[in-house]
Amino acid sequence: MKSPRMSFSPVLYRLLRMLPMPLIAIMIGVLSGLAVWIVLDQAQSRAVKRIFDSELQERLDLRSRESLLRFGQYMTNYAATARLLANHRRLAQYLEPLFWFPGEEVSPIVYEGFRPFWLPDFFGRNALLAPSHVLLVDSRSRIREIYQAGDLKLPEEMLADPQQWIGPGDEVYTVVTRLADQPYLVVSDSIEDAGGYKMGHLVVVVPIDADFLKASEGAVSADSSAVALLDADDQRLLATSEPEMLLPGTKLEQWTDNYLVTSQALPEYEGSNWNMLFATFIPNRSVTQMSERVVRFERNQRIIAALVFISVFTLVIYLVSARLNKVLKRMSRFSERALDIAQPGFQRGGNQLLLLEDWIQHFTHLVLKAREEMSRKHEHEMRETEALKAAIMEASLDAIVTLSRSGHIVDYNAMAESMLRFSVDDIYGVEFSARFLEPAQRQVFDAMLHESSHHEDAGHRPHARGELWALRADGTRFPVEISIVPIEIDEERVYTLYIHDATMRKAAEREIKSLARFASESPNPILRVSGEGLIGYANAASHPLLEAWRTAPGEWLPQAWIDEVRAALSEGRNHEREDDQGSQIYSLLFVPIQDLDYVNIYARDITAVRRAEQESRQHQSELVHVCRLSTMGEVATGMAHELNQPLSAIVNYANGASRRLQSGNTDSDALVDAMRHISSQARRAGEIIRRLRALVGKQPPIRSAVDLNYLVREVCGFVEFETGKLDLQIALDLAEGEIPVDVDLVQIEQVLLNLVRNALDALEERPVGERSLRIGTSTEGSHARVQVRDNGPGIPPDRMIHLFDPFFTTKESGMGMGLPISQTILEGHGGRIWAESEPGAGTVFNVQLPIAAVRADSPGGEEQESPMAAGMSG
Amino acid sequence: MSQEVTVFIVDDDQAMRNSLQWLIESVGMRVETYDSAQAFLDAYYPGRAGCLLLDVRMPGMSGLELQAYLTRREIRLPVIIITGHGDVAMAVKAMKSGAVDFIEKPFDDEALLASIRNALRHDEKQRALRAQRADIAARMAELTPREHEVMSMVTDGRSNKEIAASLGVSAKTVEVHRARVMDKMRADSLAELVRMAMIARGDEV
Repeated sequence: MKSPRMSFSPVLYRLLRMLPMPLIAIMIGVLSGLAVWIVLDQAQSRAVKRIFDSELQERLDLRSRESLLRFGQYMTNYAATARLLANHRRLAQYLEPLFWFPGEEVSPIVYEGFRPFWLPDFFGRNALLAPSHVLLVDSRSRIREIYQAGDLKLPEEMLADPQQWIGPGDEVYTVVTRLADQPYLVVSDSIEDAGGYKMGHLVVVVPIDADFLKASEGAVSADSSAVALLDADDQRLLATSEPEMLLPGTKLEQWTDNYLVTSQALPEYEGSNWNMLFATFIPNRSVTQMSERVVRFERNQRIIAALVFISVFTLVIYLVSARLNKVLKRMSRFSERALDIAQPGFQRGGNQLLLLEDWIQHFTHLVLKAREEMSRKHEHEMRETEALKAAIMEASLDAIVTLSRSGHIVDYNAMAESMLRFSVDDIYGVEFSARFLEPAQRQVFDAMLHESSHHEDAGHRPHARGELWALRADGTRFPVEISIVPIEIDEERVYTLYIHDATMRKAAEREIKSLARFASESPNPILRVSGEGLIGYANAASHPLLEAWRTAPGEWLPQAWIDEVRAALSEGRNHEREDDQGSQIYSLLFVPIQDLDYVNIYARDITAVRRAEQESRQHQSELVHVCRLSTMGEVATGMAHELNQPLSAIVNYANGASRRLQSGNTDSDALVDAMRHISSQARRAGEIIRRLRALVGKQPPIRSAVDLNYLVREVCGFVEFETGKLDLQIALDLAEGEIPVDVDLVQIEQVLLNLVRNALDALEERPVGERSLRIGTSTEGSHARVQVRDNGPGIPPDRMIHLFDPFFTTKESGMGMGLPISQTILEGHGGRIWAESEPGAGTVFNVQLPIAAVRADSPGGEEQESPMAAGMSG
Repeated sequence: MSQEVTVFIVDDDQAMRNSLQWLIESVGMRVETYDSAQAFLDAYYPGRAGCLLLDVRMPGMSGLELQAYLTRREIRLPVIIITGHGDVAMAVKAMKSGAVDFIEKPFDDEALLASIRNALRHDEKQRALRAQRADIAARMAELTPREHEVMSMVTDGRSNKEIAASLGVSAKTVEVHRARVMDKMRADSLAELVRMAMIARGDEV
């Protein structure tokens, strides 16, 4: 981790670590500012000097040219003044009368100290230095008059040959010349009269000395510069404007150390007898001063700039470091929280940059580790996901088909294969819509594909759904739900199709729709009632019921049924109740839906059912009766037939024998034979009877504990039809509670039924309205008694004796077996039967049975010899 | 009687068969017994004179079924039904189907024998009638269609004049036809011709 800092010495590095950033920033700022300053100082000073020098040179040139120009101008002024004097009227006035003889050797007139008439004071007026001499020269170049301003005499060269300074033409002729080692300015102009006649020349001689030079430069040279005329040949100064400093006659090189010298030729003044240079002197001192001033100024500037630079640099670094501090803090927090790194891996405080570096390295390492970890995890997850995806694909109940962008199949799962029933070999690259969709649906499908990639639900992936008719490979068509999800894989768009076979769902929907109509279509009333008893829904069939309840949909149920609704809801189970409204009977099924706090009531008009049941019960009881009777009849008939055979045979044999004997046919063998037949047939008859008895005797009694009152009610139920016909109501006078008896249910019922029917038969003779049949039960000690009392005609006493004899009957159709059988049955049960009758007032039949004690003492009673049902009454 | 008259007894009960035979033979009648309807049918051939004593209750073909079978086969043997107690309804049904009588067991021998005699007489009469009818039918077959017409009109009691008018012929011609009919039918008188016509139509005389 510390490898990048190998170049630092450890001490320096530790020091660096200790120092906070701003401090380092200040140090670096100062050091770098210093360095920059030093470098700049060198370079810049040199550059400044160079610039300054070139600038100085330029300025010197300029100054010297300026000086020369001034000097030239000054001399031109002399020329102009000379011309003015030459053409002045005073001179013309002076000369006009004067005539100089040509051959005459004359010495010129010299005016010393005063000005002649012809010479007005123009020089002073024109701010020119007064000339030392002014000469009048005749036309033959002889000097005639001389004005001498001072003590200085006209130099000899001048006197000797003035011709050379007079110009050849009429123009003013200016020449700078050296006379007696003194430079002079000589200006000449011709003097003409009014007629243009040349009368001579005026020559102005001015010595070029310090005064001249000073005057020519005017008051300009304030910087202690000076000008000088010097001899170009030997480089000697002839005249200077500052003779105190620059001694005339000295060599030029004497002064080049202290002065900057610029020399220029004066070419325009031809006719000069020497090679002359005009030089400008500027003292080195003043130049140096100026250059130093510039450098100082420049240095000040530089120092200010360096200071500004340092402070700005430091400030910036400080701000950056403050920012870095913040970032560091945030990062350490981040690493603590997000990356779960408890130790940030560096100390707070010190050099933030290095800390940051530390942190970044540490962080990078951690991130690398984390990334490695993640990639491993990711790879693992990817593998798992792949496996899962493959499993999902294969296990999916939906067909999953992947289409390329152009709608061709690129992948599919097993379900797709079985749903669409294609063969595997030729399916890749097939266009899905062309192969598996109805032609009419293809456009819809294409629209769905398009929609899927543009449709964007909030927070959902783009997708499209639709219901289509698909075609299997074998051409059968079936409804499907298709969901399309576009997926971008490597910049390439594919579509995943989830195809769900909707056949079942469609069927189920139809089923549900048809189911939903059930309630309204039901011919039975169906109601939905809230927990409070408010009718929420009632189908059309429930109107009669609601009318009977005097309510309507949206109103309340009758209170009794509201209670029922609450009970059903609280118990959470179905309640089934009947509502008997007299004319109609409804069966009501209360089905509570506890979650929704309402109860569905399914009503059913069971009036007809109840009536049918009632009738059926009646019929059943009749049927039972008839059945019993017919069974008895069958047995009786069968028995009669059986017995008839041997009896008839006996009769026939007997009759046949009688006839033979009467007719005198006495074949004794035949007769004996007939007699034998007779006796054999008689035995046969006896055998039949014996067989019958055996048959009857084999029936085991079926005893069970039963309530005697219940039996009575049952029997009353059997005869409902008949009592109805007789228009009479059986009055029941039953003992309270149950009367337990241990009897053969069917036999005792037979007995009671027999008694009731007898009574009913007897009552037929009474007029309607006066008929009374009363059945009572009671207990006396260990016995129970049933009394059947009618108010029929009663039984005469002579018949009472034979009442229980077999085959004693008063009825046309009766067999006279009812009462004897009843007696036998009761004897078998340990009970008895007797009758009491008052002729004209009615009959009472009493049946007495032992009350059932503990079950253990009557495990079937004794084997009773019941003569089976051999025909009761009727 | 050209044939010997026989009383046929069909009863599944041997004691009954034998005792009946014993009883009936005591008055000198000829008796044949069969234990089932099928056994009787196997032995009987049409034309045998006599009567049939038939028990209604029998296993296999019952008495009533046998009676119906005979009627279908136009075997006009008089049938007396023997019935046990409680079979009265069946006996009534049998009477409606053409049985001559029914006897309840056990029998009163006089009543039985009287019934048998009655049946035999009936059978004899029927036989005679059938023979006569066959004879008349044979004679009528010899008549021309016109003579048929004349005969039916004459036997209907119409006069010669009426007949002539309805046939569009002269009374004389009718007279000729009538004489020829009388001749062919071997009728001695008009009354006899009428009787013949009635017999031919199946009316009882």
